[in-house]
This record gives sequence, structure tokens and C-alpha cells, in this order.
Amino acid sequence: MTLALLPGTVSDASVDQAVSRLVVEFGQRLDQQVVVGVVRSCREDLSGTPADALPELVERLARYRLDPAGD
Amino acid sequence: MGYVDVAGVRFTLPDGRVLLDDVSFRVGEGACAALVGENGAGKTTLLRIISGDLTPDGGSVARTGGLGVMRQFIGSVRDDTTVQRFLVDLAPPAVREAWDGVEAAELAMMEADDEPTQLAYASALGHWGDVGGYDVEVTWDTVTVAALGVPYDGCKYRELASLSGGEQKRLALECLLRGPDQVLLLDEPDNYLDVPGKRWLESRLIETRKTVLFVSHDRELLARVAGRVVTVEGGGAWVHGGDFASYPAARTARHERMADLRKRWDEEHERLIDLVRTLQQQAKNSPDMAARYHAMQTRLAKYEAAGPPPDRPPDQHVAMRLRGGRTGVRVIVAEQVELTGLMQPFDLDVDYGDRVAVLGSNGAGKSHFLRLLAGQDVAHTGDWRLGARVVPGFFAQTHAHPEWLDRTLVDLLWHGEPGRPGVDRGRAMATLRRYGLAAQGDQLFRSLSGGQQARFQVLLLELSGATLLLLDEPTDNLDVLSAESLEEALGAFDGTVMAVTHDRWFARTFDRFLVFGSDGRVYEAPEPVFDEARVQRTR
Ligand SMILES: Nc1ncnc2c1ncn2[C@@H]1O[C@H](COP(=O)(O)OP(=O)(O)OP(=O)(O)O)[C@@H](O)[C@H]1O
Ligand SMILES: [Mg+2]
Repeated sequence: MTLALLPGTVSDASVDQAVSRLVVEFGQRLDQQVVVGVVRSCREDLSGTPADALPELVERLARYRLDPAGD
Repeated sequence: MGYVDVAGVRFTLPDGRVLLDDVSFRVGEGACAALVGENGAGKTTLLRIISGDLTPDGGSVARTGGLGVMRQFIGSVRDDTTVQRFLVDLAPPAVREAWDGVEAAELAMMEADDEPTQLAYASALGHWGDVGGYDVEVTWDTVTVAALGVPYDGCKYRELASLSGGEQKRLALECLLRGPDQVLLLDEPDNYLDVPGKRWLESRLIETRKTVLFVSHDRELLARVAGRVVTVEGGGAWVHGGDFASYPAARTARHERMADLRKRWDEEHERLIDLVRTLQQQAKNSPDMAARYHAMQTRLAKYEAAGPPPDRPPDQHVAMRLRGGRTGVRVIVAEQVELTGLMQPFDLDVDYGDRVAVLGSNGAGKSHFLRLLAGQDVAHTGDWRLGARVVPGFFAQTHAHPEWLDRTLVDLLWHGEPGRPGVDRGRAMATLRRYGLAAQGDQLFRSLSGGQQARFQVLLLELSGATLLLLDEPTDNLDVLSAESLEEALGAFDGTVMAVTHDRWFARTFDRFLVFGSDGRVYEAPEPVFDEARVQRTR
């Protein structure tokens, strides 16, 4: 697994997908840079997670962090 | 690669009897050893000691290489275990643990969606990956395709109980033989397997480089596979270093040697006692003789303290008796019977006295058909009926009897049940003795060994007064002597017998052969048919 990426440089499919969907969801309220930052840090926190499960978990965690109150 | 080394193991039963004493043997790297012995001798107990389920009262077990274990009762699992859970339980401990972690984390995610729960789930998945879980899932897929013809995703939530006995066994065997464990303990792996399945098992055991210790009563399998034979008998174990062909002679020679040593010990014992007596008389008038008398007394005491060598184990006696009774000539008449989804419609006439073997591959619906005739609820179309005075008696080891588990044999016999009158303790014990179960009379049914349970079920048939025996794989679990006794009892039975069997040697004793083909066709054959491709004459 490619986990040895430096913080801030993480960029892979799981990040890109989550960013594009979450920007649509939260773009009204939050700056795109904030969304990207949160998604990236989620991706880092989830390093060690099997690649297959990563996109779903990154998006889920980022959504939770962006909107801890939930809908 | 791995090995198993058993040294001086001793095991006492809850009722105080010593089952195993000073059992020592080694199964070296890559060896394929058979573990044999009569029903109740302690084979399963010994495997459970090796696997660490039971702690011996003395001695030790050393082993290397991961251990894979297949238990005797696989094939008759009737609880709500799923295929997935079953495969997880057969996996090495690290995989099992990681799996349980993922499951727990998944459950937690359903309850709460907070950050710690999400991170815990991610880390459980990470751990699953680290222990090779994803490779294991690929193996499981291969395993279910090989055993059931279905990918893992298509059957993981299926209940094991919905698989036939042979399918359950095959699933476990595929999993263990393809898995990472280097040492396999297989307790009667061939039970319930159809004949192609048995042949497959034979070739896989010959091929495998794993170290295998397997229990079997099937002489054909033993002859083909075993490179050495460990025998549990008379409370001990001994090893025959050769194959099964040379085993009977080795065992006879060993018993003769034991009897001979014992005889010599007894003779010497007699001689010493006589000497002591003579010297005692002479000592009365001679002080010189008194000294010799005392010396001889000491010698006798020492001789006795050392004890006699073990005698040859007693021959076991099993005498099953099935009485039956005269019925109408037509016993079973079936017209265009079809068990929904399992086979094409077929007709069948069975007459008084017929001996019908029901053959065919695992999962073809043979057991369902027998259950239908036994009066159980089985989905079907078409008509069938039993003739005058035909009383069916059904025997199936895969049938769970939860209501028997916590009762003693004498108690079960005393109370009887509909169609089987109760008998008093004296009669119960006399009957149990004929089935080699006298010592088990006051034991709970659940504590009987697999073969003892099978014998007891034949005993219940004896007491039931059935005139049509419907037997589902009756020889599985039975040791060779009990299977022979059953064969004799069936020969003398006054009535009709229909038996599902994959036992090549047992099938030979029948005179009609009803084959459930894998294409769904049910037909009668003049000779036993053991696989699709060809019709074989039995030996
Ligand atoms: N709780 C108990 N009390 C008394 N005896 C017991 C108890 N539990 C087991 N036994 C006895 O221990 C003996 C050994 O059982 P085990 O299952 O090891 O036999 P086995 O050699 O595997 O036989 P089989 O060929 O029938 O499978 C049997 O005689 C059984 O009745
Ligand atoms: Mg056993």
C-alpha cells in the first residue's frame, strides 16, 4: 500500500472523488480550500486502510468533520 | 512444515475411568498418519488434546506449524452457523481475531457514526488487510466454488444446516487443504462424502505436503492414504510404521506378543508363589531356610510391585438385532414423485423383503426422499403410500436430537416414545451390552462418542418394531466391527430395507440400486453406480 506520502501531498482517486462530491454538498457554506484540507487530513488519518475501502471511508469521515451535527 | 509430538499423555474421564494412559507417538513432517481404534476408544479425545481443547492429566504435546482442525460432527451441523462463520472458524487464530474485530466495528458503525467509531472501523479493516484477510477471502472464493459450485459472495450468508452432510465436509476439507496451516487434524473426514468425494479426498491426502493425522474407519481410504497407523486401544496407543496393508498382520502379531509376555509373567508369578510356599514349610525346622524364605518373599513382593505387562486388549462384542415382521407384499408405491427442485418425477415399487441401496452424489436429494417416506414434511408433488402393516423406522445421524442430549441412555430407554415402548433398567442394560454400550448406560447422550451415538440409534430401531428401515448413511461413524454387525443384523431382518449409502463395501450387500443422478434423473441400476461417468462392479 502507498501510505508513505507526505502530509499535504496526498492526492489520489479517493481524495478527488470525495472533494468533488463534498464541494457540491458544502460549497454554499464552506470555501473549497477548506473542504480539500479536511478531505486530505481525513485521508491521512485513514492511512493504513485497505485501498478498496478508502474512498467510502474518507468521504464518510470528511462529511462527519465538515458537518459534525449531521443532518 | 510441521510435526506433532505426543509424550506420555494421560486422560481421565469425568466419571473417573482412565481413557488414555501414557500415550506417546510422533507424526513427523509431511507424514500422513491414520488414527484408528474402536468406537469410544478415545480418538476424538486425543485429537482434542493435541489441538488444545482439552488439557491432559499428564504428559505433553509439542507441535510446530499452524494447526487446522476438522471436527467429527461437521456434516451434521444443525444450528444457525453461516458458511462465512464456518470458514472464519476454520481460519488461523490471527485471521479469526481480525475478522471478529471487523465485525464488531461494523456493528458499532450501525449504532454510532462518530469519529472514533469511524477510525476504529478503518483500523479494523487495516488490521484485516495486515493479517492477509483479503487473500484469505480470495481463497474462500476458490473454496466455495470448488466445494459448492458457488462464489463466496453468493453463499456466505447461507446457513450451513442447509448444506448436505457431504457438502459441509467438502467445504471444510477444501478450506483446510488450501489454507496456510501446515498440520491438519481430521476427525473422520470421509463421513458423508459421496464416492467421487472420497476419491478426491484420497488423492488430495496423497498429494498434500502438509502433516496430517486423520481418523477413519473406511478401510479403502486407509489402504490408499495412510503411511503409518496410530492405534488407540486398551487405554494406550501404539504405532505401526508401515501402511494399512501390513497393519492387520502387525496388530495380530503385537497382540500375540502381548498375550505371550503376559502368559510368561503369570507363569513366573505362579512359580514364585509356589517357591515361597515351599520355603515357608521348610523354614519351620531350619533357620537357614528361614533366611532363604524371607529373601524369596522379598523377591515376590518386588515382582508383584513391578506389575504384569499389559494384556492384549479384549475383543469387543457388538451384536445388533433387528427383528421386523411380515408386512403386505407392496411396501412402497410411489408414482411420479418429485421433490421440488431436486429431481425429475419418478415411479418406484418396493416389495416386502427388498434391500434397496439409494446411491448418488452429495446434494442429489436422497436424504430428502428418505425423510419423505419417514413421514416428515418434505415439499413434493406426485403420490406415494406405504403398504399394509408397514411401520417405518428412520435412522439419520445428521438429524439433531436436542431432546436427547441431556438424558442418560437408560433414561431414554426407560421412557420410550411414540412407537417405541419403554423398557426397564435390566432389559435396557442387557440390550446396551449387546451394543457395546454397557459402560455408557448412565452417561448423557451428548457425552457419547460419534460411533457410540450411531450404535445407540440402531439400538432404538431394534426396540421400535419397525418393519421398513429407512437408513441414511448408517455406517458412517461406526467402527469396522459395528458396521459388520449392522450388516449381519440387516441380513437377518424380517422386513424391507432402504438405505442411502456412500460406503462402497456396505452397498455391495444390497440387491437393488436406486440412483439419484446428478442430472436430476432417478433410475434403477443392476449394479451399484458410484459416479456419473461409469458403472462399476463392486469388488
Ligand atoms: N462425561 C463423560 N463421562 C463419561 N465418559 C465420557 C464422557 N465424555 C466422553 N466419555 C467417553 O469417552 C470415550 C472416548 O470418546 P471419543 O469421542 O474420544 O471416542 P472415539 O474414539 O473418537 O470414538 P468414535 O469412533 O465413536 O468417534 C467414550 O467412551 C465416551 O463415552
Ligand atoms: Mg470420534
